[in-house]
Amino acid sequence: MKAQLRPGAREAIFAQLIEAGRAEQVARRLTDAIILGVLTPGERLPSEQELARRFGVALITVREGLVILRDAGLVETRRGRGGGSFVIKADAPHDTLLQARLRGLAQVELSDLAVYFSTIAEGCAERAALRASAAEAERLDAWLLHADFSTTAAARTNAGGFYLELAVLSQSARLVREQIRLQAEFGPLLFLGLGDPDTRALITGLNGRIALAITRGDGQAARTLAADQVRLLGEWLLTMKARIERGGYRDDAIVADA
Amino acid sequence: MTPSSPTPETARPTARPAGRTTADSCAAEVGEIFARVFSTLDDWRDGIAAAVPDRADLDVLVESLVVPALLASADSPVADAPPATESLLIGAGFIAAPQYVNGRDAHFAWWLGPLASNPLLGNTSGASRLDLATRVHTEYLRDFRELEWYAVPEATNQTHVTGPYVDQLCTCDYIITLTMPVRLGERMIGVVGADVYVKRLEQVLLPHFLALPGPVVLVNQAGRVVISTEPTLPAGDILPNRRHPADDYDLLPCPGTPFLIATRIGSAAI
Repeated sequence: MKAQLRPGAREAIFAQLIEAGRAEQVARRLTDAIILGVLTPGERLPSEQELARRFGVALITVREGLVILRDAGLVETRRGRGGGSFVIKADAPHDTLLQARLRGLAQVELSDLAVYFSTIAEGCAERAALRASAAEAERLDAWLLHADFSTTAAARTNAGGFYLELAVLSQSARLVREQIRLQAEFGPLLFLGLGDPDTRALITGLNGRIALAITRGDGQAARTLAADQVRLLGEWLLTMKARIERGGYRDDAIVADA
Repeated sequence: MTPSSPTPETARPTARPAGRTTADSCAAEVGEIFARVFSTLDDWRDGIAAAVPDRADLDVLVESLVVPALLASADSPVADAPPATESLLIGAGFIAAPQYVNGRDAHFAWWLGPLASNPLLGNTSGASRLDLATRVHTEYLRDFRELEWYAVPEATNQTHVTGPYVDQLCTCDYIITLTMPVRLGERMIGVVGADVYVKRLEQVLLPHFLALPGPVVLVNQAGRVVISTEPTLPAGDILPNRRHPADDYDLLPCPGTPFLIATRIGSAAI
C-alpha cells in the first residue's frame, strides 16, 4: 500500500478535501505545512497523481494548487528524472505568508476556530482533571517543568504537546485524534501568538495552573483555565489581523525568533 | 471504511464461557490471556537475544517475528472458537536502546497490524511499520526512554504492563502495552513489546463478565477501568471515585498481571 510509505501526522495534510475552491485548499494545506516546517526545505512533494489521490481531487486541481504555491515562491518544479515539486529553501522566515494567511481568513472564521479549539481543549482539560491518576499528574508536572517555552519555535512545539497530553489524560481516543488533526490543520495559525513574549509568558503560566488543577482533580478549574488560554491565543490572532488590515503590521511581531 | 476492511467495527459474537463463571474464573481467564502474550514476548526476546551479533539484520529479524502475529490478528476468529492470543495485538516490535543501533536515539523496529479508519494511516490491509520521524506531533516528547513502557522495564529488569491508555504514537487508540527487557549480559539492549487492543480484549472478556450476576470491573493497579459491566463506571474512569467508593468493591488479583477483578459487594452471590 502506497499510503504506508509516508505514515505520520503529515498524513493529515493530505487528508481528503470536500468543499469548493479546491485548488486554493490544496495550496493552503501545503502552505501551512511549509510554514510549520512539516514539509521541510528541499523536500520533494508527493507526485501530482499521488497528491490528487490523497486529496481526493482531480489532477488538474492539484496542478492549479501547485501553480499558486509556485507563484508564492514556496515550491519549484524540476523536470526530468528525479524531478517533481520541491519546497524552496527560504533564507527568511515565511512571515509574509503568515500575513497572507491572516488576511485570507475572515475575523468570523478566526474567532470560530478559537471557539472550536477551545471547546476541545476545555473538554480535554476537565476530563484530564477528573481521570488522571496521581502518577499521571506527576508525570505531566515533570514534563512541564523541563519543557522549553523560551523561544517561539520551542513554545509552539510544546504548546501543541501540552494540549495533546491533556487529550491523552482524558482517556478519550477521539479527543486525541481530534487534537492531532486540529493541530496538523491549524497549529501554525493557532500558536502564532506564542511569537509574542508577553502572550507566551501568560500561556506558560496558565500551563502550570492547568497542571495544578489536574493534580487536584479540579475539573472546573482546569476547564476555565484552558478556556482562558485559548482565548488569549484567539484574541492575539484577531488583534494581529486588525493590525495587518490597517497596514500597521510589524514584521518582527509574528516571527520573533522562529 | 473499505468493504474488505479486515477488522470489522462491529463486535463479533463470542462464545459463552463453558462451565460456571465466577469472579475467580474471570480473574483466571485474564491471567491466562496475558500469560499467552507474555509467552509470545518470551519467544521474541529469545529470538532477538540469540541473533544479537548481527545488528544490521535486526529490523528484518523483528519483522519476521512480529508481523505473522499481527496478521493473524486480522483473521476473524470462528464465532465459537476462543480467539487466538495474537488476535488481541494491534502493534508489536522491538525498541532498541540508543547506543545499540543508532548511537543517539532509540531505534523503533515496530509494526502495526491492519487498521480500520486510522487517523494517520487510514485503512491498511497489511502490516505497516511505524515511522516516528514523520510524526511531528510527537516531537514534544523529548526522550522516549522517559516513557513508562521503556523506563520501567529498564529500571526494574522486569516485564511491565502499561495502561490502559490512549496511545498517541502509533494507533491513536485505547491500548495496553506489554514490554519485556532484552538483555545482553548486564546491558539492556532494548525492549520487546506488544500492544493489546482494549476493544478486542473486551470482545474476549465481556461474555465472561456478563455471565456474573452483579457488576464486574477489570481495573489496573491505579484503579483505571479497562472493561466494565457497570454503566456508571466506564473504561477510562478510576475506581474508586465519588460515585463508587472503595468499600463497595471486592478486589481479586488476576494471577501474573497487574490487573484486578472488582466486584460489587453484596451482588456477588446468586
